Amino acid sequence: MPLDKESHRKVQVLGIDAGGTMTDTFFVDSDGDFVVGKAQSTPQNEALGLIASSKEGLEHWGLTLDEALSEIQTGVYSGTAMLNRVVQRKGLRCGLIVNAGMEDFHRMGRAIQAYLGFAYEDRIHLNTHYYDEPLVPRHLTRGVMERVDMSGTVVIPLREETARQAARELIAQDVEGIVISLLHSYRNPAHERRVRDIVLEEVEKSGKAIPVFASTDYYPVRKETHRTNTTILEAYAAEPSRQTLNKISSAFKENGSKFDFRVMATHGGTISWKAKELARTIVSGPIGGVIGAKYLGEVLGYSNIACSDIGGTSFDVALITQNELTIRNDPDMARLVLSLPLVAMDSVGAGAGSFIRLDPYTKAIKLGPDSAGYRVGVCWAESGIETVTISDCHVILGYLNPDNFLGGQVKLDRERAWNAMKEQIADPLGLSVEDAAAGVIELLDSDLRDYLRSMISGKGSTPGNFVCFSYGGAGPVHTYGYTEGLGFEDVIVPAWAAGFSAFGCAAADFEYRYDKSLDINIAPDAPDALKTTQAETLQAAWEELKERVLEEFEINGYSPDKVQLQPGFRMQYRGQLNDLEIESPIMEARSAEDWDRLVEAFNDTYGRVYAASARSPELGYSVTGAIMRGTVPIPKPRIPKEELQGEAPPEESKLGTRKFYRHKKWVNAQLYQMEKLRPGNRITGPAIIESDATTFVVPGGFETWLDGHRLFHLKEI
Amino acid sequence: MNIQSKVENRGIVRGGETLKEHRDRLMEATKRTRHYAGLQQTELRDSDPIKYNKLFSRLRAGVVDARETAKKIAASPIVEQEGELCFTLYNAAGDSILTSTGIIIHVGTMGAAIKYMIENGWEDNPGIRDKDIFCNNDSLIGNVHPCDIHTIVPIFHEGELIGWVGGVTHVIDTGSVGPGSMSTGQVQRFGDGYSITCRKIGENDTLFRDWLHESQRMVRTTRYWMLDERTRVAGCHMIRDLVQEVIADEGIESYWKFAYEAVEHGRVGLQARIKAMTIPGKYRQVGFVDVPYAHEDVRVPSDFAKVDTIMHTPSEITIRGDGTWRLDFEGSSRWGWHTYNAHQVSFTSGIWVMMTQSLIPTEMINDGAAYGTEFRLPKGTWMNPDDRRVAFSYSWHFLVSSWTALWRGLSRAYFGRGYLEEVNVGNANTSNWLQGGGFNQYDEIHAVNSFECAANGVGASAHMDGISHAAAVWNPEGDMGDMEIWELAEPLVYLGRQIKASSGGAGKYRGGCGFESLRMVWNAKDWTMFFMGNGHISSDWGLMGGYPAASGYRFEAHDTRLKEIIAEGGAIPHGGDTDPENPTWEAMLPDARIKRDKQAITTEAMFKDYDLYLNYMRGGPGFGDPLDREPQKVADDVNGGYLLPRFAESVYGVILAQAGDGMQGVDQAATEAKRKAIRKARLEESVPTRQWMESEREKILAKDAGTHVQQMFAASFKLGPRFEQQFRSFWNLPADWKLMEADLPIPSYGREYSMDISELPDVKTVQFVEE
Repeated sequence: MPLDKESHRKVQVLGIDAGGTMTDTFFVDSDGDFVVGKAQSTPQNEALGLIASSKEGLEHWGLTLDEALSEIQTGVYSGTAMLNRVVQRKGLRCGLIVNAGMEDFHRMGRAIQAYLGFAYEDRIHLNTHYYDEPLVPRHLTRGVMERVDMSGTVVIPLREETARQAARELIAQDVEGIVISLLHSYRNPAHERRVRDIVLEEVEKSGKAIPVFASTDYYPVRKETHRTNTTILEAYAAEPSRQTLNKISSAFKENGSKFDFRVMATHGGTISWKAKELARTIVSGPIGGVIGAKYLGEVLGYSNIACSDIGGTSFDVALITQNELTIRNDPDMARLVLSLPLVAMDSVGAGAGSFIRLDPYTKAIKLGPDSAGYRVGVCWAESGIETVTISDCHVILGYLNPDNFLGGQVKLDRERAWNAMKEQIADPLGLSVEDAAAGVIELLDSDLRDYLRSMISGKGSTPGNFVCFSYGGAGPVHTYGYTEGLGFEDVIVPAWAAGFSAFGCAAADFEYRYDKSLDINIAPDAPDALKTTQAETLQAAWEELKERVLEEFEINGYSPDKVQLQPGFRMQYRGQLNDLEIESPIMEARSAEDWDRLVEAFNDTYGRVYAASARSPELGYSVTGAIMRGTVPIPKPRIPKEELQGEAPPEESKLGTRKFYRHKKWVNAQLYQMEKLRPGNRITGPAIIESDATTFVVPGGFETWLDGHRLFHLKEI
Repeated sequence: MNIQSKVENRGIVRGGETLKEHRDRLMEATKRTRHYAGLQQTELRDSDPIKYNKLFSRLRAGVVDARETAKKIAASPIVEQEGELCFTLYNAAGDSILTSTGIIIHVGTMGAAIKYMIENGWEDNPGIRDKDIFCNNDSLIGNVHPCDIHTIVPIFHEGELIGWVGGVTHVIDTGSVGPGSMSTGQVQRFGDGYSITCRKIGENDTLFRDWLHESQRMVRTTRYWMLDERTRVAGCHMIRDLVQEVIADEGIESYWKFAYEAVEHGRVGLQARIKAMTIPGKYRQVGFVDVPYAHEDVRVPSDFAKVDTIMHTPSEITIRGDGTWRLDFEGSSRWGWHTYNAHQVSFTSGIWVMMTQSLIPTEMINDGAAYGTEFRLPKGTWMNPDDRRVAFSYSWHFLVSSWTALWRGLSRAYFGRGYLEEVNVGNANTSNWLQGGGFNQYDEIHAVNSFECAANGVGASAHMDGISHAAAVWNPEGDMGDMEIWELAEPLVYLGRQIKASSGGAGKYRGGCGFESLRMVWNAKDWTMFFMGNGHISSDWGLMGGYPAASGYRFEAHDTRLKEIIAEGGAIPHGGDTDPENPTWEAMLPDARIKRDKQAITTEAMFKDYDLYLNYMRGGPGFGDPLDREPQKVADDVNGGYLLPRFAESVYGVILAQAGDGMQGVDQAATEAKRKAIRKARLEESVPTRQWMESEREKILAKDAGTHVQQMFAASFKLGPRFEQQFRSFWNLPADWKLMEADLPIPSYGREYSMDISELPDVKTVQFVEE
């Protein structure tokens, strides 16, 4: 990132990653150059932290906020505020209308919600299970008498007076939003829509302004707990976020901006803060990194990418195959089962801050799942932490510079860490402190490696077909460890690893995606006429979703001809309960041949994901969902391209040496300043490349090479 | 036969032993040294703990992952939603090394199947080769009940056997007399459905066609059956691949050592945990459950089975100072003419399922725990039958009620050590089981088996209430599933799903409540359903003054005229049967034929569209005197629908007061007075123990008890002479006082004559317990 002092830059894109502790901003100019700004987050009024972070970043370019903002065309936000609102149950007071007789189902949850996110030991340890408070309490829940069956047939016609009564009672209780979710409304929405209209009438009569959310208008997909939770999130958590985003947008406008903010959404695209389904922006930060990797891959020609991100508390992995993200349709988040399309990302509760303990009964080594988080470990005397962490191992083994942690803001004490490690782990296991610390690191690396491997084999592939991207604050410390021996095609650490999520947000497409449940069933030997009919049913759903996608773009001023559409579908063997999402190989489905192409695409994928022997074509097929994605092009950060220079790193990049322990011996590792390395430089381990926000470890037996895009390539030698 | 191999006499196990030689050697060393396989030192673990941990965590993660991936292949909500499947990795001797989550009772049962193959010469005939596939569900050699189907695959390395992997799913139907996986009508094994004894069903990773054709027509729900099998096979193969990768990375020597050291590690881990959590001594407790077969709605083929009986399991846990322990079930009932019998392996292995939920919640779940425990199950009891005719299809009926006593016993120890959070008063009776079949909404032959009761109430601990609608003792990861998914699987629409008030036992900390689902038959043809659960007996107990959970009952309604009532806009039963003593639905269905009683076990009854069925999931027991419960919590329970208002006063001594908004609060002064009055009344009603015992003794001498109670004791006395002696001396009974089944006015077939499976030609059963 050249630090240019001239101010004739035209800043085009702003990416924001508002985390719990730090707010990162990422600016891209018309040449594609970029700069990162950092400031502490300000949860009370997020706009303040954002403005501060922006100013800090723009200073590097010698720009003021006004100068930059007047030019920016697009700004993308991602943050954790909505998630925190849900976790802390600080959302709006909502009312819920469900089927009469089923008023308890939301608070009953699914029992799975009592142990979601637990480690293995706690999943089986019954006395640790607990339910969170329901998002809507039972006394704000009402039932309406009606029933529709699984095929959409009316069993009990809607008794409208029960809906009116429910609406009046909830309105009288001063709710701030009303959510309606009736069984099988995704199949036949008539009753639910009628209830919605009755509630709207009653709200209007009351003279109050209470927004109404019918599940069929938002997430018309099967599984009532998922659908209801997600629709409640719209009312409970997304509406306040909409207000926040409105505020941020206004704050920027006051500073001269002309753009409308977009928000990173769970499906991997960005949507407007005015979008109807805003709940899908509940987690966005970690997705940014995946999108960034996808974009880098598209520009540089990597189609299969394993994205890996280590922070203080977790290791997140996502896979991009053939430039496509994997989408999970009924994920869980904040201990709630949901029906959002979510970029499939798996997390292990093991990060740099994870605690290390020995099981008192079996002496097995336990990593996490809890973590010291920002308090680092025993090595930081002021932290109050007494249990050793992964970071303590790093300090003991010379991976981290105790005097330059977070640019020297936090001073670490190696001796403290060493003593604690000896007492808690090394002595009980009969190992030296160094071997114990190195062993723990090896164990963590091995866990992460297995995790990566199993994710990739779950896709029916092998690491040899993938390029591994490693980023996040602690990612590059472990890159060598969790990739060693897996045989990745390439292992890449971007020089801007610590700001990679914000970069990814800036690179994300403006994309809407809508899903609809379908129930198309067809026998394996179905006649062509039936296949044609079924193709037409799917086509009709695509048309309906297309309308909704185009409508959203209209709101943001994009005419239909600007929108690129991509249909998809979900298919399973008839009778199964799990489907697979398939990107449609055809744009329209109208004939029996079209149908066969859809089936073929499904069979291919199924054999890859599970096993060829698990294919069951003799059962016939069900299409369970239609998907439509629409995107419009937006300006994106240009990937830097610099001239290659010599292999030898410049002298000014060298920072001396540090003792570094691995494979049972101490060696002297050469230290480098990351920012001072030049494209083309080649570094052979043992070496440690440091910058303020991250440390890249290149142990003996590895070498790294910095390419013209400021990407480090790590390989075993 | 292969003459060559006979000459070489080389076995298939790594190093050249036969399977039988291998297992014999390990068992001999285990017995001699009291360490598994004689491993007084664990070489790999001691010299390279990091590598050992790496192996463990990699294999464990892989096994868990295989389960998560494979279950998506299944079509059955039992597998896919409820997670009723499990994969376990075994060493060459069939001892488990580690397991996934899920129905982990099968850690032992699949191991028992492998051991049966080893002991009965499967190595020679039918032969065990790389890429073979075996299937087992035989309850006479260790399976829990026939609907748990095992797929077992040997793992070879360079031509030698190094271990096994087993996968199990709970299938929805096994072709027994009645539809559903745990049907009730049969009274012998021959009606229990398809039974497969360690059969080789495939070679070269391919299933035999004769197997496919036969098995798929032996059950009602063929599609579920097929996909369940693909789930098991795919999972086993994933794990076999994983083991081969691990060996490629870490070397066969390390893996081989690990495969035995891990079992010893599990044994040592259990011992350390018992030492840390409990107090040495003897813990005695008892469990009961009802078998009400005299009722007209239980239609069985045999007159001798048409009796009301009570099943009985006294248990004694002995914990020694070194952390070893012994579990003795002297005095348990004889096996019976019903489907509630269990094999010794399922009884003992199942105990690990519950122990892992409280005593040893660790990833180190393997056969080490079994080697660390001495069991005594007298031969001929319901959990160790000595007759090959016994039926097993719902062995859980009494397993859950017998085991709940063990949690209660251990909880006393936890309490004594101050581990209040670990106390768990006991598990719910995991019922009702809604089952039945006929033609479904897709016009196909179908069986249903709702698994909503995977989410029962949990017993209270000594510091908080048990959680509601959350768990089942046979699968710690309980779940009730989404209604929309059950409606896909069953031609029954929901008219209600509601927390069942007062189903959890009262206490200072109350048991978690269960819930109830009201189902209306919809789009079914030639349809039947039945009930399965406890009715007359509360099968769990409270602890330290806490109450047991409510027992079960049934509600079914036929000829409801609901079609007309719906059309006319009349009142429709919906939600829950909130207060069964003051029912409201009957008045809405004036012309209906309604069955509402304590007969919670029935056989197939005919149902048609618009008929109703109430599926009531039980609660858990409570801890401590209800009078010690914080009064506001009682009001909260009433407000939340966890407690029927009338019990606030009668059980808790809490006087409620209106708190506005329709909510109840507490009248503090009146509550204090009421509680004082209840305590006083208790004292007034009490009599000295000696005096009470004297009057009870008179009743015993006069045999003043129901026939079922007399039969229960008579059967226990016959099989458990020590139990009889203790009973006799406790009540100071004269020598001429005798209680004999033969003297009772009900048949007792099986009392004198029985013939064990081991008496069949060429059969070697494997004994896992002291008898």
